Amino acid sequence: MASLLKVDALTGVTTAGSISVTGEGNSTTTNLQQGLAKAFISFDGTGTVSIDTSFNISTLTDNAAADYSIAYTNNVSTSNHPVTGSNIGSSETNYLGYICSDGVAQATTGVTVHFVFYNGSDNNDQDPVHLVTNGGLA
Amino acid sequence: MASELRVNTLKDAAGNNSIATSFVAGGSAKAWINFNGQSTPAARDSFNIASLTDNGTGDYTPAFTSSMGNGNYALGTFTAGNNTVATNSRSFGSGTKATGNHRIQIGYVSSTTGGLTLYDSEANDIVYQGDLA
Repeated sequence: MASLLKVDALTGVTTAGSISVTGEGNSTTTNLQQGLAKAFISFDGTGTVSIDTSFNISTLTDNAAADYSIAYTNNVSTSNHPVTGSNIGSSETNYLGYICSDGVAQATTGVTVHFVFYNGSDNNDQDPVHLVTNGGLA
Repeated sequence: MASELRVNTLKDAAGNNSIATSFVAGGSAKAWINFNGQSTPAARDSFNIASLTDNGTGDYTPAFTSSMGNGNYALGTFTAGNNTVATNSRSFGSGTKATGNHRIQIGYVSSTTGGLTLYDSEANDIVYQGDLA
C-alpha cells in the first residue's frame, strides 16, 4: 500500500544527525545525512557572474578570469569537505578543461575554484560552471 | 529506542515539496573522500570508505565499506592545483571501477603532448553516486 508522510523535519532517534536509509539492493543501509549534498550551484562565470540555480549558497564572487569563490549559507563542519566540479565548454578550446582549487585552501565557509584549460595556463571564463559540496554540516 | 519508518513519499507539513523515498535513497551520495595523496596517502574525511591503498605515484584505490551494487556507478572528482605551475595543474585520469573499490590515477596534463603524467596530489576529492549492493 502506498504511504505518504508529511513532515517538516527529520531527526534520528538514537542520534539526531544520523538516519539510516535502506539502499537500492535491499541489503545494506546508508546514512541519510552523510549522503546528502550540502550545497550546489550552477552559474554563468562570464561577464558579470550570475547564479542559475543553487542550494545553500549565500554568495558567488568573481575573483579574476576563470577564478570564482562561493560562500555557504550554513557552513560545513570541516575544511576538508569534498567538492566536485565541472564545466561545459563554451568554445572548442574550452572542452578539455577542468575545475581545480588553484592552491587556495578550502574553508568551512566556502571554497575558491579555478577553471584550467588543458595546457595548464589559459584562463577562460566559463558558462555554465557546476559545483557540488558533500560532507557534514557544522 | 531505535525505530523504523516505512513510507513511499515525503512531503513537508504543508503538503508541498513532495519527494519519493526512492529519490532519497537513489539521489544520496553513497561514498565520498577527501584525501592527501602525498607521502603516505590518508583520508582527511570520508564516508563509506574502508581503506585507501597507494598503488604508486598518483595511483590510488579507495575501498568501500558497503559495496556498490554494480560497477556502473558515477563519480565526481576534484583536485588541488595551481594554474601557474604546470605540475600543479592536475587532472584525474582513467580508473577501474569495481563494486568493492575504485582504482583512480591522478596527474597533470602535458602542455606539449597532452599526455597524463602521474603525480601525487595533496588534496583530492571523490564523490560516488549509484546503487548500493
